Parts: sequence; C-alpha cells; structure tokens
Amino acid sequence: MTIYHAGDDSQARPYIDPTPLPDSIPKVQEIGTSSAPLKSAAFFIGAYCKDYNEDFMLCKQDAKGDPGACLKEGRKVTRCATDLINKMRENCLETFDKHWQCLELHNQEYYACRKDERALNKCMFEKLGLTKTIPGSPKGQTPIHDVAKPIYTTVQR
Amino acid sequence: MPPPGGFESVKYKRNLPFRGPSGIVALGAVTAVCAYGFYRVGKGNLEKRELQREKVWSRIHLVPLLLAEGDRDAYRRQQAALAREKEIMKDVKGWEAGKSVYNNGRYRSADSIVVL
Repeated sequence: MTIYHAGDDSQARPYIDPTPLPDSIPKVQEIGTSSAPLKSAAFFIGAYCKDYNEDFMLCKQDAKGDPGACLKEGRKVTRCATDLINKMRENCLETFDKHWQCLELHNQEYYACRKDERALNKCMFEKLGLTKTIPGSPKGQTPIHDVAKPIYTTVQR
Repeated sequence: MPPPGGFESVKYKRNLPFRGPSGIVALGAVTAVCAYGFYRVGKGNLEKRELQREKVWSRIHLVPLLLAEGDRDAYRRQQAALAREKEIMKDVKGWEAGKSVYNNGRYRSADSIVVL
C-alpha cells in the first residue's frame, strides 16, 4: 500500500487534499461532530430534518448505490443537521453538553443518562419546539425515555 | 395409699416444640417471590424491547447524515480514479476511461481504491 507524502515536511503543513471534489460540485462544510453529540441530537435531527432526510433516502433508493446521484440532496441533509446542531448549541448548550458528556461516560447508552436527557428534552421543547418521539412505540404507554421508575438503570442512580 | 395431695397428673401430651413455619407457608412464600420475580422479568423484557427500539431509531435518524458524508467522499475518490485512469491511458487509442467491464448499466463500486 502506498501512502501519499507530498515532500518530507508534509507533517508540518496542513493537509491538502490532492484530489479534491470537482469545482462543479458546491462545497459544503462537513458536520465534524463526534458520535456522542450526534447520538444525543439524533432524535432532534430526525424531527428537524425529516423532509430532507426522507428526500435523500428516497433518492438513494432510486440511485441503486451510485454515490454521485444524490449529492444535492446529501448537501441539504448535511446543512440541515449543521443548522440544528448550531441552534442546539445556541439555545441549550449547557444541557446538551451535559447529556453528551454523560453518554460518553456511559457507553453511549440512553438509559444511563435519563436525568440529563430530560433536561435537554425540556429545553429543546421550550426553545425550539422539538420533541423526542420514538416511532413504533406501543400506544397508550409512557414512552421509554419518560418512564419514572425504569427497571434497567445503572448501578448507581 | 396415695401420697398426700394426690398423685401427679399423668404427662400424656407430646412435647413438640415449634420448628418454624410449615411447609405450606414456605412453599407459598417461595411461589410468591418467584411470581413477583417473573413479573419483573416480564416487565423488564418489555422495557428492554423499548430501549432497543430507541437505540435503533437513534441510528436510523443518523443514517442519511453519515451516508451523505460518505457519498461525497466516495464520489471524490471515483472522480480521482477516473482522472488517474485518463492520464495513464491517454496514449491508448479507443480506450474509454471508467467504462464498466460488464455490458449492463448497473452501478458497480470500485474493486480497489488508492489510499490518498
């Protein structure tokens, strides 16, 4: 396997992509968020970017695996998610940080971080009007993230 | 002749000290504990199912975002490979860069990639 090194001091300079995307493709800033914040924001991304996400996935279904077919829809998806993360940081930075740091410490399990999650959900509903809903949960039951005394908890509450 | 004050009364009652709760009580208690335990297990199974549903949906919601990012990179690599092939094969007449070896229009991802 060959690894591209542009000269000896390539480590000292910032990385320059030798084969960037063609200029005909509009540039989009990648989201750059790590897994715990993404998991913390997942249900809000699902609620906030529903239309873009569905559009993209339907396009992908028609494209039959061609990565170049849905770049436009894909950019919309990324922009929407970036927009949401920015809004979350503007409005609920404290609760958001607390929740994803809790997820980071607890193997990214939601059930271990209900306290912080409820604070975040409350803030998100008050500031942005977004609620967490899990599709397909049984009707007439408390959704799992609102159960007051769950059976599965961490050892230390 | 009887002694003064009469004979002592005959001890005919069995001397059986209390030896703990009866078998029925123990059995009942065990049954009750087990019943409560199984009730909790059943509740827990339902809860586990909901936790799993929550986890799966959190991932489903992230699929488009991650897929879009991956697609952009895949497309970039695809275009770079095409440019490379064009450059290498520019002297060969009748060579179509990026042409599939199969005679159908289906998309096929690259068999090998160059790590750059």
